[in-house]
Amino acid sequence: MQERRINISNRLGLHARASARLVRRATQFTSRIELERADTGQRADGKSILSVLLLAAARGTWLIIRAEGEDEERAADALAELVEQKFGEELSDGVF
Amino acid sequence: MASSSARDVRLRGVGASPGVAVGNALRLDERGRQQFYYLDVSPTQVRREVRRLHEALDQARAELLEIKTRLTRELGYEHSFILDAHLLMLEDARLLAEIENEIRARRVNAEWAVRAVIDRVAEAYRQVNDAYLRERTSDLEDVAMRLLTILSGRDKFELSELDEPVILVAKDIWPSTVAELDFDRVLGFATNSGGITSHAAIIARALGIPAVVGLHDVTRRARTGTPLIIDGAAGEVILRPSKALAREYARRREQADARLERVIQPTEAAETTDGGRITLRANVEMPAEIDALARFGAEGIGLYRSEFIFLAGLPELPGEEEQYQLYRRLAASAGEAGASIRVFDLGGDKLTLKGFEEEMNPALGLRAIRLSLRVEAIFRTQLRAILRANVHGRLRVVLPLISTISELREAKRIIAEVKQEMAEANVEHNATLPIGVMIEVPAAALMADLFAKEADFLSVGTNDLTQYMLAVDRANENVAHLYQPLHPAILRALSHLVRVAAAARVPLEVCGEMAGDPLQAIALVGLGVRVLSLLPASIPLVKNAVRAVSLERVTALMKEALKLTTASEVEQLLTRELPRQAPQFFAAWAGEH
Repeated sequence: MQERRINISNRLGLHARASARLVRRATQFTSRIELERADTGQRADGKSILSVLLLAAARGTWLIIRAEGEDEERAADALAELVEQKFGEELSDGVF
Repeated sequence: MASSSARDVRLRGVGASPGVAVGNALRLDERGRQQFYYLDVSPTQVRREVRRLHEALDQARAELLEIKTRLTRELGYEHSFILDAHLLMLEDARLLAEIENEIRARRVNAEWAVRAVIDRVAEAYRQVNDAYLRERTSDLEDVAMRLLTILSGRDKFELSELDEPVILVAKDIWPSTVAELDFDRVLGFATNSGGITSHAAIIARALGIPAVVGLHDVTRRARTGTPLIIDGAAGEVILRPSKALAREYARRREQADARLERVIQPTEAAETTDGGRITLRANVEMPAEIDALARFGAEGIGLYRSEFIFLAGLPELPGEEEQYQLYRRLAASAGEAGASIRVFDLGGDKLTLKGFEEEMNPALGLRAIRLSLRVEAIFRTQLRAILRANVHGRLRVVLPLISTISELREAKRIIAEVKQEMAEANVEHNATLPIGVMIEVPAAALMADLFAKEADFLSVGTNDLTQYMLAVDRANENVAHLYQPLHPAILRALSHLVRVAAAARVPLEVCGEMAGDPLQAIALVGLGVRVLSLLPASIPLVKNAVRAVSLERVTALMKEALKLTTASEVEQLLTRELPRQAPQFFAAWAGEH
């Protein structure tokens, strides 16, 4: 199992568009993907948008991404990168 | 039911788009709340119900994909991303498993299972102390209703196949509704919610459809088939009008149509009676307005307000690719006449910027070009997207809120750098990109001769120029009466700008609301302005005004106006003289205003 700990840093947190991008990416891997809020321990299925939205993870929330399966390492890296890059925005200097 | 048959019931709302519509209501929320019954099914029927569920899901997905394509085409990607979330909800394995489980375990019909499971999920969302998430229950409900409508097998109401023209009555007009509409058959909108910047209002103005919003309970008072009148200018809706009243409004509508019809031919030029050629360009905010360009006879786009993508509720900054797609469409639609893209005209009030404090006075704060130069990454991304899209047409950039020459030089340096980087990286682009300065700060107006030497063109934003020159916030009702576009100071500034632009041989255009008001537009023409940029729907009216006047005579008239001492003297002169000079247009027009 692969684990990554990351901070939600985009302005609006895991809102609909960000969640949609995360779930789209997660479903590209065969591994099981689990997200956990570090503060509350609440967990979500990374391939279910309804479950991810329910985390209501605002900006500043620490999230643990767990991937388990054949492509777990690539999956964990890809998802952590997506969050770090604020869900596909180009700007990396924390402007938005 | 005496009250429901009362005649001439007047409702006050907010006039969102001018014009008169007389017709019958089509109430849009009717397909919303159907009843779904609980049905016990036998074990052998369970498989059939599961199959029905999967078929409904496939169909719902196909419908959503089609809407998304159409929405992206008509309104731009910024309105369509929410459909991605809807699509993912339909593909959500957990949700499907739960619905399937409901069918199997409780042996119920698919409709009941969908309703029960989605209600449970929605309840879980409502429990979370997060306003944004609570609002997402409306997305869930949207998805649920789509599934249920398909499952129940009723004929879905086809908005795109309206038999007769109607007036839409709805709580609000949403992007997904718009995507399904046949606009040739929509006479007007009346909505419960919304202000003049709501979706419904913007869409109505873009398409030149009369609309009144903010009516609170019009969906309760009118039902499908109720005759009504919409008076967009007055912000009034009249339910069940008496025959006499309906006739009167129908006549007003016909008069307005007749006046427009003479020039609605896009090929007819905006030419004065003595051969003065005026160019009328379009101000554009949304991609939907692009389709209206040809219809209203616009000669290209004089002002594309690129920041609109933020105001439409987009939560994040769109990336280079998304911007490129949008600008490319703009470039292609504007054709030879080209399109001026005003770079993001935003302040910290529109974006939450890390490291920037809320400002006491945002109108005078870190905004527009000041922000672009401070946070260069945003500016560079936008420039790359514009330069790439420029391959497909003739784009120009306009820099907003310029107050010093050094800002123009700095922006030009960045533009040159971006071009060079793109050339070195072999990114396909068109480097022929005229750079214009938006003249809206008094300092820039006074120094226009210097700007004209270093910019490719000048674009005057009369709204902001008036606000900054007169120090009046027109949204502040205590001082709104002091907001006077015909103030002698504004006329002097405009006259000065025309002179220095002509001396430097750089194009000058005027955008802003003055250009969309026939009287003020003719005042601009008389001052020497030859290019106006205005709302697409206002173009036919202003074109008519231009075709009714003589350039020589309105020029002489404005020479007189420049000698006057107050805005009301100027207005009196114009309202007295223009109907004399051009009775065929202004006499009728003045009678209505």
